[in-house]
Order: sequence, then structure tokens, then C-alpha cells
Amino acid sequence: MSNRKTRPGASASASAMAAVAETMPAFEDHSKQEKHYTTCYMCACRCGIEVTVENNQVRFIKGNPNHPVNQGVLCAKGNAGIMKQNSPAKLRKPLMRKAGTERGAGEFEEVEWDDALAMLTERLRHIRETDPKKLAFFTGRDQMQALTGLWAQQFGTINWAAHGGFCSVNMAAAGLYSIGQSFWEFGDPDWERTKYFMLWGVAEDHASNPIKLGIEKIKKRGAKFVAVNPVRTGYQAVADEWVPIKPGTDAMLALSMCHVLLSRDLIDWGFLGRYTNAPFLVINHPGHSDDGLIARDEEGNPLVWDQGKNAPTNGMAPGAEASMFGEYSLPDGRQTKTVMTLIAEQYLDERYAPEKAAEVCGLDADTIERLALEMAHVAFKETIEIECEWTDWAGRKHDKFIGRPVSMHAMRGISAHSNGFQTCRALHLLQVLLGTIDVPGGHRAKAPFPRHTPPPIKPAKEMAPNTPLKSPPLGFPTSPEDLVVDDQGKPMRIDKAYSWEAPIANHGLMHMVITNAVNGDPYPIDTLILFMANMAWNSTMNTSQVRDMLREKDESGEYKLPFLVVVDAFHSETVNFADLVLPDTTYLERYDTISMLDRPISEPDSACDAIRSPVLKPDRDVRAWQEVMVDLAGRLGFPAFVDDDGKPKFSGYTDFIARWEKAPGIGFLAGWRGKEGEKSMRGEPNEKQWDKYIENQGFFQHHLPEHMRFYRHVNRDYLAWAKEVGFNPSDAPIIMELYSEVLQKFRLAGQGLYDGPLPPDDIDKERLVQYFDPLPHYYLPLEEQRVDPQEYPFHAINQRPMHMYHSWDSQNNWLRQITAQNFLFMNRAKGESLGIADESWVWVESHNGRVRVQVKLMEGCQPDTVWTWNAIGKQSGAWGLDKDAPEARKGFLMNHLISELLPKMDGNDDHERRLTNSDPITGQAAWYDLKVKITPASSDEAGTSWPQFDTMKPLPGAQPSPDQVRYSTHEPVRLKRSLMDIIKRKSL
Amino acid sequence: MHPAVSVILFTVSSGAGFGLILMAVALSLMGWVPGMGPGHTLVAILIGSVLATIGLLSSTAHLANPKNAWRAFFRFRSSWLSREGVFAVLFYPTVLVYLISLWLARDTGSLAWWGVLFGILTGLLALATVFCTGMIYASLRTIPQWNSALVPANYLLLAISSGTVILTLIAAIQGIELNVLSGLALVLLVIAGLAKLLYYIWIGKPQGPTLNTAMGITRAKIKILESGQSSRSFLNKEFSNQVPAQTVKQMRWVVYLAGFVIPAILMLIVLQTSMMVLTALAVLLLLGGLAIERWLFFVEARHVVNVFYGQ
Amino acid sequence: MKLGLVIDMDTCVGCHACVVSCKQWNTSGTLGALTDYEPYGKEPNGVAFNRVRSYEVDEYPNNKTVNMPMSCMHCETAECVTVCPTGASYKREEDGIVLVDQDKCMGCNLCSWACPYGARELDQASGTMKKCTLCVDRIYDTELPEAERQPACVLTCPSKARHFGDFDDPDSNVSVLVRERNGLQSMPELGYNPVNHYLPPRPKPNAPTHNGGQLEPLTDRFKKWLNKVVVR
Repeated sequence: MSNRKTRPGASASASAMAAVAETMPAFEDHSKQEKHYTTCYMCACRCGIEVTVENNQVRFIKGNPNHPVNQGVLCAKGNAGIMKQNSPAKLRKPLMRKAGTERGAGEFEEVEWDDALAMLTERLRHIRETDPKKLAFFTGRDQMQALTGLWAQQFGTINWAAHGGFCSVNMAAAGLYSIGQSFWEFGDPDWERTKYFMLWGVAEDHASNPIKLGIEKIKKRGAKFVAVNPVRTGYQAVADEWVPIKPGTDAMLALSMCHVLLSRDLIDWGFLGRYTNAPFLVINHPGHSDDGLIARDEEGNPLVWDQGKNAPTNGMAPGAEASMFGEYSLPDGRQTKTVMTLIAEQYLDERYAPEKAAEVCGLDADTIERLALEMAHVAFKETIEIECEWTDWAGRKHDKFIGRPVSMHAMRGISAHSNGFQTCRALHLLQVLLGTIDVPGGHRAKAPFPRHTPPPIKPAKEMAPNTPLKSPPLGFPTSPEDLVVDDQGKPMRIDKAYSWEAPIANHGLMHMVITNAVNGDPYPIDTLILFMANMAWNSTMNTSQVRDMLREKDESGEYKLPFLVVVDAFHSETVNFADLVLPDTTYLERYDTISMLDRPISEPDSACDAIRSPVLKPDRDVRAWQEVMVDLAGRLGFPAFVDDDGKPKFSGYTDFIARWEKAPGIGFLAGWRGKEGEKSMRGEPNEKQWDKYIENQGFFQHHLPEHMRFYRHVNRDYLAWAKEVGFNPSDAPIIMELYSEVLQKFRLAGQGLYDGPLPPDDIDKERLVQYFDPLPHYYLPLEEQRVDPQEYPFHAINQRPMHMYHSWDSQNNWLRQITAQNFLFMNRAKGESLGIADESWVWVESHNGRVRVQVKLMEGCQPDTVWTWNAIGKQSGAWGLDKDAPEARKGFLMNHLISELLPKMDGNDDHERRLTNSDPITGQAAWYDLKVKITPASSDEAGTSWPQFDTMKPLPGAQPSPDQVRYSTHEPVRLKRSLMDIIKRKSL
Repeated sequence: MHPAVSVILFTVSSGAGFGLILMAVALSLMGWVPGMGPGHTLVAILIGSVLATIGLLSSTAHLANPKNAWRAFFRFRSSWLSREGVFAVLFYPTVLVYLISLWLARDTGSLAWWGVLFGILTGLLALATVFCTGMIYASLRTIPQWNSALVPANYLLLAISSGTVILTLIAAIQGIELNVLSGLALVLLVIAGLAKLLYYIWIGKPQGPTLNTAMGITRAKIKILESGQSSRSFLNKEFSNQVPAQTVKQMRWVVYLAGFVIPAILMLIVLQTSMMVLTALAVLLLLGGLAIERWLFFVEARHVVNVFYGQ
Repeated sequence: MKLGLVIDMDTCVGCHACVVSCKQWNTSGTLGALTDYEPYGKEPNGVAFNRVRSYEVDEYPNNKTVNMPMSCMHCETAECVTVCPTGASYKREEDGIVLVDQDKCMGCNLCSWACPYGARELDQASGTMKKCTLCVDRIYDTELPEAERQPACVLTCPSKARHFGDFDDPDSNVSVLVRERNGLQSMPELGYNPVNHYLPPRPKPNAPTHNGGQLEPLTDRFKKWLNKVVVR
């Protein structure tokens, strides 16, 4: 079973060890221990774990060596699962806000599940019968969006999304609209083969263990690892070269590298010409509705200029001799240019020259040029080839895969800016110019990706009482017609996703929900359900004011947000604001699916999914939220969840998972389908499917045959298989869109030229024209455009420490021993030049507010940047912590400084429409656009952070947190030293 | 190092006690102090034993698991702490026999041969115990400020000088002529003071491992970024202290004045005047000064572990 | 045998996985619970056998961050053993593992004073000294799969920066790593002769550049490109 290569030594020592082993006592009584295999949930990485249980307690949590995600290793969080399971902050029973008490006062009374669910069902039934959009359902870091999305769809509300809108939608969207995949769950660097790895804006996160495993592999191989990041911690620590870039300028760096490559003709022309829209003809028809669109034939096929025929021809027809460059007239007289011509014109321009980029990025021009040329060397002089016969989309046989072993990974440092979508597209452009997408050594897709650019799913718009939505609430708009706006062009969703303000908001804008709902803009709602989202604390922008909003009442004394349901497993700051609290189980107490219909965990060489199954029985009156959702769906009579008589169809979550089909043969789990479990990926439901997963250590892995492992965007066998198993509705080749016609359509709308819906407001028109460039471009992040750089000279960003990345575990006993207070880090020389001493206290002020924090000076910080560990700060009394815990008294949230709305334009009147502080294309929350000023705090202000909040009251039935923990699952079996040995031994 | 009160009390008190015993045995055997008979010696040895016992008992207070203290005698072969314990324990039967011999001789004034023998043994055990105490510290390569022959030398000198001053007080109470004792005390205080001065000069120069040798990075300046712990752990509580450098400086003055200079001046005056009050004052000042000296001994000791914390 | 660890400072990213894994395994291990003090209070801390610290070498912009995990080095000249008065601390003859017999320790702290690496921590609740056992209760457990008979910290390390083996065996993984990567001891001048070794950061890999075609004026470049054709 084991395949770990590290052995404690050669055979000589192995036999010596065996000899010693015979003299040892049995330290562990294995007969009293049971091993369970499930999936970690201490962050979003979803590693496979082996949990050893003894006396109903967890003895040890270990990485599963057979699991594709983590290959046996486990991070600090995964190792701290025991202390999550034993957290004193666990919720114990459903809670209702005490009648007559104020929301947020933390006065609750326990209620029985039956009463809680009956009450909730009645409320939801009424909403569903009258105006389904009055229910907003937003989920935090969950991994069950396929289920929550289905539930919302069946309920009939479009007001559903998960946390992607404030996390990384820029990456997902840019990838899916450009190359059909993206980073992290969508694609990975080819760790086994890459010779040059560039890491962009990756705080110590996304993903956790896979990146660490990968970095070790490439370092061992002697590949170069370059880290582009304003801060040198975490992965950057072991980088061979650190590029301390100014936050928000990465697009400039990437595009300047494109400039260098173009100016020296270091381009993979074959890759560009065959697999991207580089040779497509773009209509040059200024002032008309077709300007900037791709020229197409009558069937809608994109045209290229066939050099041989000297005529336009169907670009999707195999064998066309496509000109990469040039201006051509169509038979109807319209002028066109190839996409590649536009690319060359745009990026060879002096504004992208290294000297210019150097000023913007705070780097030197030589470095920018050298990095580009180093990558070019690896791509073109260190090309690798894998002998393997494969067939392309046109049926042409190839005898090898050609690989350009340059790879990249990028995440929040790119995505959490309001120029993140275009920045991520710039990275993809750079990758494509070097020919590195889904090739050996490059950036490889992971099933179900690649998908078409973008996948043909449109966001739901139509709603009717008691009626499911026709499509999922979230999808991929490709033109203004797809926007979710009403006849006046006003937003229809509570978060204003898919409105003119955020047209391609594929993951919604969770950070706007409370503000919009309380302002009744676009409309008031009745009930907000939050699952695993700390929206009254670290998951919201502008925390203090959002907390006030949750308490705001109208003239009649009713809360503006009438009913708040919070589903969580722990006593968080948001639980404190709930009207109804539904307590969830921990990850070790429940069933779950990690499905390819959802956020997948596949590997480049295999399609994978996994489950969780209970390792422990809950010792409290709690229910897994999945179970509750299936239960509610039955009670409310959702068509997919009831039989013809209107009776609930599924006995519970596991039954639902086993029997529900999205399309014939396709369900949440792809393994062991078919009546006897004989089918993979697609097949009839199998009653024993769960058992099969449990038997097979909780995961399923379908290995792709060798000829389907690369060039999947044009790999005929792969595309056919992907269609067959339901990844893609079509087996057409996936064309990478360097030039985005979708963006151009929106830009035309902004120009008033689009032949369809047009934005009513000038501000939207302006934004569409300015930001929807069909080619990636750099622009100053929006907040920076509106605040005075002299007054607010510092960029302020945040990241999470590796041992708390993407986790909920600031309350974890073992992890808070490592970090319990966050500091504001700044460059040492810079700090000293401002008279700021190490560990002194300062005020940090933005246009939105100020916080008082303690400073730490460091070397590895770009001088114009300050940063902190996010989400360490806690409200006093939350998460089972002492009221004076450092998290509450010394830690802080940067969130107070970040407004969910952009600052007003100078001199504008009060009627200015306030815009979301988000990417103007995707609505991605622009956390890292923040600019601040820093001034020393006075000596009597030092010692405590500000703002401080009231101490949260303990919940009914909560035990006080212990003063000491001595966790052990059995009496120790000790080794004894004999008295003779003590007396006889001379020295050691 | 963290200055534990129990250890300060232990080393000062047992040091003074054993020093007193050593000096009382030596001076009485040699008969160098006119008028000092076995009866007088008996009292001095008794007082010395009480002081030593207070110290030794106090030392067990810093054991986290005292029920195993009896095991401390097993590693005599390698451990100075074990040796200290063994000598300290052997001291008691020996001193008891010696005390009996002194008791028997209190009227005659002449000590039996076995009394002389056990007197010598008592003195040697007192000496050995104090030496072992010094060696416990001096043997630690982890604490450069301690890892020196100066440390046992200091322990011995401080023990016998403080013992002699106390013996002077006892003699004063007993009404014995004080010239030899106060003169000897004066000389010993000056020698001990000079030795301590030498020690302070020696620890003044930087020494010991650095982050560079800890990490194998030869050049470049290294600073700590994250200690990996949110609160002070055992390592910080045990091995570091947060005493400001200014306080350390001031305390050295106190040590010098209270521990050496004033007692020496007082001994000089006593040499002239034989004033008991001044002798008592000298003892009080000296013990106080030595307590601070011992506190500083810990506070100024910089355990190598601090290097890893960037200190 | 001379069992110990090799720790790779070239790939250690400072994630603390080893720290928590160690805590997790050993709190139910042979030495008994590793006590946590004020677990939810003002100064959370507890007994740990392994700690990771991060350092910055040199100054901006030439700075490099280096992470250094530290646990018991199982020194050949283990002064912690020499100074122990009770004999509770000992170095096993079979494999060189330094252990503390919990039934014999009197909690005098002297061994921790003698240790330059901060490897020993007193457990206030048990009153005894605790330290890394090299997972003696894993590595000899023949009921575990052979590949898992390794210290918990080594098994869990996500960047494979920790290696366990026998330094007496010149062909063992640890001996080879030390030889090939110039493994070093921490504070060798103290003469403790630690068994654990650290691998220094690797030198930067050589990254040649490809300077491509000549830098031509834009119009010339476009002229050349005009004939560029790719068969779809």
C-alpha cells in the first residue's frame, strides 16, 4: 500500500532497527485503535487524511500517502484537527435570539431542532410563495457549492453565491475567459518537469500542501524558482530570486515581459497560430456596432486570412494557412487586422517597455528584461519532448508532446485588486506567448478543465413563485444580453452581480450583500442565510459599519435586514448577530462530497473526487448543514427533492448523493457508478457507492491514458471523453482567447455602439470603455485613482500565516500558540526613516477609517508596502477565547480600513452613485487596493489595539474554556532506564 | 537566565554557611584566633550548619518533582549537581561527629584526635560542596558567562569571605578578640572583590555562539523575523529575563558597595574598634549584597538559546 | 546506530506542520501529555519538542528569509545527560536517542540549562523534563507500515525538508544528504557534536538568457512578421 520513497536508511540500518524493535514495549495498543480515511477540512485544500481513533477520541491525524492531493503529507492546520474537535467554542444546540433583546447583544435561548426547522420552513415557504428573491443565501468557505447552488436554484432565488467574489473570482474568470482553465483547482504547474517556476502574488496559500510538495520537487531538480511578491515570507523564503513588486502592478510587469519577448521575436508561433485566436481577424470599423468583433462567416465561424488562397477562410477548418499578421479587407469591404497584429501593436508600444514598467512596479528594467529572457531560454532552448502518439482535434496524428517547461502559479496578490482580472489575463498571455499551456513542463489543466472559453452556462435571471430557476444562479455571460438586470438596466441580484457595475461577476459579490440589503438597494430582502461566513468580522470589508448595519432599524422599529440565519459550527462573531443559529458538525463528524461538479480536486494526470465520512459521533445536538438542506428541501417541496406525491424523495444527504443525477449517469460522485459499481465517471446510481468510497480510503481517482494528458484543449480523444463524461457539452476544440470578444461587446455597449442592451448610467459607460479592453492591460487600481498618494503613501495588504491559511482556526489551542497577535509589518529602513521603532504602536489610517496597531520592522517588505496577518484579530469573548486574549486586545483587523464602496470622486455631489470597491469586470473584492498613512501613537495609547468591541457573552450551556489542556488518548507506555545502567555508565 | 529566588537563597545561604564552617574549622584547628575554644567553635559550626541547611532545603524548592530528589545521588560519576548533593549529605554525619567532639571538648579545651580528623573532614566537605556548586555553573558550555574557572573561584572566595565576616560577628557576640578575624575578613573581602571585578571585566567582552554559527551562514547579518510562538514559553521564562541594562549597571554598584567596599571598610573600623554593631551591620550588608550579586550572576548569564531568539 | 534528522533549510518554508504534528503525536505518546497552559487565555503556550523560527539574512533588497526548525539534536556529546543528577536523562546505546525517564526525573531543569538548542522543556503539570524522543514509539512499532516508522515530523513535512535515518550507515539517506549537500551542525564550536544536521540553502541555479532576434525598429519587425503563417 505504501509508496513513500523515503526510507529510514539502507538495509543495514533496517535490520539493526528490526533488532532494536524486538526489545521495545508495545507503545500503542493497536487492537483498541481504528483507522478511518476521510478528507481534511482545516482549510480548502482537501487533503486525504488517516484518522486514528482510540477511546472515542482522535489519537492521530496523518496525511494519507495514497491520496492524490497531499501524497501523505499534512500541514500544521491538518495536524491541529484534534484541537478543532475539542474546541470549547463548538455550538451545541440550535439557538434563537431571545425575544425582546437586541440583535448582536448575544442573548440567546436554546431551541429544539424540530421547532427551529418548523419555524424556518414556514418563513421560507412564505418567501418562496410570494417573492423568492427575498431569500438571500450566501455561503463562506464551503466546499458544497454544487449542493447549495442546486438548493437555491430549486428554491427559486437568484440571490445565491459562495465566497469566490471576495476571494479569487478574478483568477477563475480570467482563466475561463482566456485559456479554459486557471490556477489551483483548475490547473497546476507541471511539478515533475518544469524547469522554471514563477510564483505571482501567492501569500502562503492556495493551495497549501500541493505547492509545498511541488516547490520541493523543483528545487531538488535545480529548476529556478522566482517569486513575485511585495513580501518575502512563506514560499518566497525559499525562492531563488525574490522580485519585490509594488502591489497592484503585476499586469505591468507581465506585459512588459511580453514586450521583451515580442521585441526579440521569442514567441511560440506554432502554439499561438494553432491553439489561440491570435490569427483571427478583428473588424476595424470604428463607430460601428461590429467594431472590434471577430470577423465571422455565415455559420458564425471565426475568419482567418488564408495566405495560400489570399482570402478569408474559416479559422476552425483544419489546414487553413493562417496569416499571423496583417491588415486585410473582407469581401464586404470591411477592414480587419489579425489579433496578433493588435497584440504586437499594443505591447510593443513604449508604455510597456521595461524602463517604463520599472517605474510603475518599483523594480529595475534590467531585472524585468532578464526574467523574460530567462524564461525564453527555458521555453525555447530547453524544450522537452515526450514520445507519445496523440491525435489533434482535426484528426492529425502527432508522435510526441512538445513541452516548454516554464510554469507559473498566481493567486490572491493578483486577484484581490480591482485590476486583477486584466492582470490575470496578462499572466495567461505571457504563458501563451511562451507556448506553455497544458504542455509538458508548463501549466497543466486538471479535470474537468479545460472547458470552453467560457463554459456555455448563463446566469439565471427569471424568477417566479414556487418555481425553480431554469439555470443555476451563477454562470458565464458572454454579452450584455446575459446580464442579470431589469428592463431599466438596474441590478436584479441583491449583490448586483452581473449588473453593469460587475458584468462578469461569476462568483457573485458576497461582500456587498449586507450593505445592499440594509440600504434596500436594489431592494430589501426578508431573510439572509449565511453558512460558514464570518460576515460580522473578518470576512467583510468595513467591519465596524457592517456590524452597525446589521443592527439598523427602519421607522417602524423593524430590522432593515429582518431575519438572519447563521449556520456554523463555532461561536463566531457572526453567530452573535444571528436571529437563528443552526449548529453544524465538525468535519470529523459528517458526510460530505468533494465533487467534480463543484470545486474539483483532480490532478493533471487523473480526474479525482472524494468524500468525508464520520469518524466521530457528535456529542452535541448538532446537525450537518447538508442534512438540514436536504431536509428543508423536502419540507419546502422542491421538485428535485420530492416524489410525485410531494413527499420527500431522499432519506437524507447520503441518499441524495447516491441517487440524484445531474444528467443521466452523472452525479456528485464519479467513482463506482453503475449498478454494481463497475463504471467510472458516468453510470447509473449505485446504492453502495458510499461504501465503495469508504473501502477505498475515501477518494476516487481515474487515471487518464498517456495520450490524453497534454494539449487537452485540442486533444481529440480527450475532448471526446470530456464530452462523454459530462465535463463539456461539446467536443469542439477549446480556443484560447488572447483577444476577448466578450469584453469587446461590453466595451461597445459602453461606447453606445452595441446592438443590444446599453448601460443607462454614465459612470458604467465610462468604466466599460476604460476597463473592458479586449486585450489584457494595466491600469491603476480604482481606490488608488481616487485617493491622494501623498496623503496615503503606503499600500496595505494582508495574508494569512501558513498555519492558519484559509482556516477558521484562530481559536485552535495549538495554532494560537504559534500566532495569537498580528503586527503591522513594514520595511525596516523605511520605518526607521519615519521614526517608527520596532514593536512601537502606530495609527494606520485610510480614507475609510483608522486602526491602532503594533509595528514590526522587517527586511523582506517592499518599502512602499505594509502588511499584516489577516483574521488573527478577534472580538473579545468570541471563539471560546478569554476576554483579554491577545487576539482581542492586541490583534487587529485591517478590514476596518477597507470600504466596500469606493471613495467618492473629488467635488462630486451627494447624488453620486456609490460604486463597489471591486474589480469593474468581475466584482472581485479589491482588498489589496488599500492605501494608508501611518503615524506614531502616543505612549498612553500604546499596548492595546483599536477599535475594541464589547466582550461577547457566553452562549447558553457553554462550558468555560479550560485553563490547562492535557490531551492524551491513553496512559503512556514508558521506556525505563535501569538503575544498573544509571550507576554503571561512565559519562554518557 | 531567570534568577530563581530559591536558587539565590540557596547559594548565598549555603555558601556563607559552608564558608563559615570551613573558616571556623580551619581557624580553630590552627588556633589562630586567641580565645576561641571548642565551645565557641561549636556555636559557629552550628550556626554554619543552620545556614547551609536553610540553603539546601531552599534548593529543593525549585525542583518540579521533589519526590524524586533522592535519586539525585546516583550520577556522582558525571554530574556536579549529584556530587554537590553527595557531599552535602555526607557533610551531616561528619559535622555531627565533629560537633560531638567539640561538645566533649568544651570544658577541657582540647579536641580528641578523632575530633581533629572529623573537623578536617567537615571542612573539606564544606569546601567540596561549595566547589561543586560553583562547578555546576562553570561546567555549562551553554552559558559563556559561567563557563570559566573564575566561577568556582568566586563561589569559594565569596563563601569564605562571607563566612569569615559572620564568624567575626559570632566572635563579637561571644566576646572574643576580633583583630585576627576582622583582619582576615578584610583581606578576604578585598581578594573576593578583586576576583569578582576580574569576573565582571571578563564577561564584559562578547563571547559565545552567534546566529551565524547557529545557522552555518558565515557572513551576513541575521535577524529574527518570527519566533514561532505567540507567548513566552519555558525556554524564554527559564533562559531570558527582561531586566534593563541600566538596572544591571546600577545593581553592580550595589553589589560592590554592599557586598565588598562597605563591609571591608566596616571590617577595617572593627579592626580598630571591635564594635559589634558594625560587625552586625557588615553581615547584613554583605548578605544583602551577595543576594544581589547572585541575582546578577543569573541575570547577566546569557544562555545560548537566546541566540535563536535573536537576543 | 546513530539515529537522527537532516533538516533542509533550502526547502523549509516555515509552515509549522512539523511542530503541530510533533505535538499531536507526542501528547498521546510515551512521555505522557504535553501540557498546554492558558490554551484559550492571554498567554497561550505549552510544552513543545520542536519549534520553527524564521530569520532574515542580510538587508533589503538582498535579504533572504531562512526558516530553521529545531528539536533535540541527539548530540553525541550530550551534556544534558552528563549534568543529570538522577540518571533520568540518558542516551540510548542502541540508537543514540536521548531520552528522559519520566519516572526518575526530579525536575531540576539542569539538563535544559546544559542544552544549547532549547530542546528540553519542563512540563509543569508532571514536574518532569520532556523532549523529542525521535518518536521512539513510532519508529520501532512493527505494526505500522514500514514506510511510516518515522518520526511524525518527518512524515508530515509538506516540503520534504525533514529526513530521518542512521548516521552510522554511510549509505543511509541522511548520510548521503549530508555528504552531497554539505550538511552542517548548528553551533559546532560548542563541541556537542549534534547528530542532527542542517542542509544549507542551495546556491542559486544558473539561469541563462535567450536573447532572441535583433532588436529592430517596429516597422521592420512587422515587415518580417507579415509573412508568418501557421497552419491551423
